[in-house]
Amino acid sequence: MSLLELHNINKTFGPLKALTDLSFTVGHSEVVGLLGDNGAGKSTTVNMISGIHQPSSGYISVDGQRQTFANRRDSAEAGIETIYQNTALVDCLSISRNIFLGRELTDRFGFLDLKKMREIAMQVLESAVHISGIDSPDKMVGDLSGGQKQAVAIARAVFFKRRVLLLDEPTSALSVRETEALLNQVLKLKAEGVSSVLVTHNLYHAYQVCDRFVIMSHGTKVFDVAKADTTIEELTQQVVLT
Amino acid sequence: MGVRQSDVYCDNWIQNVTDMTHDRAVAPRRSAGEWLHSLLSMPAGAILLLFLVVQLGCIVAGLLFPDDFRYLSSANMGIMMRSVPVLGCLALGAGVLMIAGEFDLSIGSVYTLTAVIMALLVGVGVDAFIAAPVGLLIGATIGLGNGFLTLKFNLPSFIVTLGGLLFWRGAVLLINGAVQVRFDPNPVFNALFSGTIFGINAAFIWFIALCLVFWAMLHRHRLGNHIFATGGNRAAATAIGVNTGRIKMIAFAIAGFMAAFAGILATTRVGSVQPGQGAGLELQAIAACVIGGLSLRGGRGSILGVFLGVMLIFTITDVLLLMRAPGFYLDMFIATLIVAASIFNHGLDRRGAES
Repeated sequence: MSLLELHNINKTFGPLKALTDLSFTVGHSEVVGLLGDNGAGKSTTVNMISGIHQPSSGYISVDGQRQTFANRRDSAEAGIETIYQNTALVDCLSISRNIFLGRELTDRFGFLDLKKMREIAMQVLESAVHISGIDSPDKMVGDLSGGQKQAVAIARAVFFKRRVLLLDEPTSALSVRETEALLNQVLKLKAEGVSSVLVTHNLYHAYQVCDRFVIMSHGTKVFDVAKADTTIEELTQQVVLT
Repeated sequence: MGVRQSDVYCDNWIQNVTDMTHDRAVAPRRSAGEWLHSLLSMPAGAILLLFLVVQLGCIVAGLLFPDDFRYLSSANMGIMMRSVPVLGCLALGAGVLMIAGEFDLSIGSVYTLTAVIMALLVGVGVDAFIAAPVGLLIGATIGLGNGFLTLKFNLPSFIVTLGGLLFWRGAVLLINGAVQVRFDPNPVFNALFSGTIFGINAAFIWFIALCLVFWAMLHRHRLGNHIFATGGNRAAATAIGVNTGRIKMIAFAIAGFMAAFAGILATTRVGSVQPGQGAGLELQAIAACVIGGLSLRGGRGSILGVFLGVMLIFTITDVLLLMRAPGFYLDMFIATLIVAASIFNHGLDRRGAES
C-alpha cells in the first residue's frame, strides 16, 4: 500500500480546468520527482495535497485511508508538510521560535518555555544533516542563507514526525553547494523513512535523487517512470514535447 | 528516531552546552569595541545607547549648572513623570499593532472620544469606576471595528483608520459640541490615576506596569510570538496554522483599548477634556515607535524600544524647554530624530535581507 495516493483527481476553477483525471502514488521511503513545464498543473497539485485547494472530484488517501484536507493543518496532521520557498519561515523570529511557531511549548497561562524550546531546537539542528554555519538556535532566520532556511524548515518538518515532504522548487534560489547539501538531506531522510516529492523545473537536480518521475502536462499525468527505466534525455523529451 | 540515536543527540547536546558555558566564561573579556557592536546589534540597542548618552549629558549638565539647567530638580522630574504616560500608553498600543503589520491613525480621536464619554457619564452621576471601563470597552470596540473593515474588505489599515480619525473627531463635536467637559470623579479614582505614591506619579507607575505587562505579552507569551509572526511574514504564519486574522483583530483591539486608557490618565490629570486634545497624538505615538526601532512593515521591534522612543521624545522636549528654546525647534528636532532613526533601521532591515 502506498503512503500517499491521488485518485482520479479533477480540479476546475470556474471555467478553467486545472487538473484532469490525475492519479499518482508516493511510496514509503521514496523520492518522487514531479516534473512539468510552467502551467502543467504542478502548483495546483501541490496546493491540493497540502490542503489549500480541494479536489472538484476524486480524492487523496494516506496509508489507504481516504482523506479530506480542508486546510494545511489537516494535511500536516496526516503527516504531509509542504515547504514553499518564501513562506516557510518568519525572518524576524529566531530559529527556535520558528521551529515552535504555532505549537509553542507553554505553561498553563500561555507563557513560553523558552529554555526548553531552545534545548529542543538545538537537538533539531543537530539531528538534521549538519546545517553549515548555524551555531545557535537564537539566530534570526533573516540572517540565514536561502539554503539554511530550507534546511531549518525541513528539520522542523522531520522533528514533528512528517512522513512526506513536498518541496516546491527547492533548488531555484540556492547556490551549487547549498543544492548539493539539500539533495543529500533528502537522501538521508529517505534512509530514515521519510518520503519526498520534489516539484521542480530542474531535471538534473531531480535526476540526482529521485527514484521515480511523474511528468505532468496540461493538468494531467503524461509519463510515470522509475529511474532505472529511463534516461535524462527521455525525461527532457517528455517535458518539452508533451 | 531510535533510542540509541537520541542518546547520541543527547551527548552532542551536552557537548554543545559545555561549549557554550565555556564561551560564556570567556565572554566578559571582550574588548570595548566588541561590546559596543553587540549592543548595537541588539534589538533597540542603538536607541538604548542614544538614550543613555542623552541622559548622562543631561545629568552632568544638571549637576554642573543646577541653577541654569534644572533637569534634576524635583519639579522638572514631576513634570516629566506626568507628561510621559499619556503618549506612552498610546504608543504601546500603536506599537503592538505596528508589529502585527497594521496602523491605527484613529487612536488620537478615539482617545478624545472615550474621554468625553467617560466625563459626560461621570457628569450625570455615574461612578467613575463604571464610566472608565465603559470608555475602555468603547475604545477596544472601535479598534475591533477598524480591524473588521481592514480585514473583511482587504483594505490598507492606513485608509480605514484615516477614516476613523475624521469620523470620531466629528463624533466628539456631535456628542458634546466644541466645549470642554469637566471631569470630577471620586477621590479614590483621582488618587489611583493621578495621585502620588512614594514621590512617584501614579500615572507613571501605571505606564511602567503596562510596559512590563506588554513586555511579557509580546516577548514571553505565545500571543506575542504570533503577533511577530503575523507582521513578519503573514503567509508563513498562516501556513503553519496561526490564525493571522484573529491576531490582527486582537492587536487592533489593544490599540483602541490603550487609546482609551491614555484618555483616562489625561482626563484625570487635567480634570477636564478639551474636544481638540487628541489631534496629532496618533502621529506622535507612531513617531515614538519608529524612533524605538519598530519597522513600518511590521514584524520588528520591542517594548523596550517603544518605551525608550517615548522617553527620548520627552527628554528632548524637556531639554529644549529648560533651555528656553522656541517651540518650533521642538518639532524640527523630533522630525530629525524620526528620519535619522528610520535611516538607521532601514539599514538594519536591508542588512538582514541581503545576508
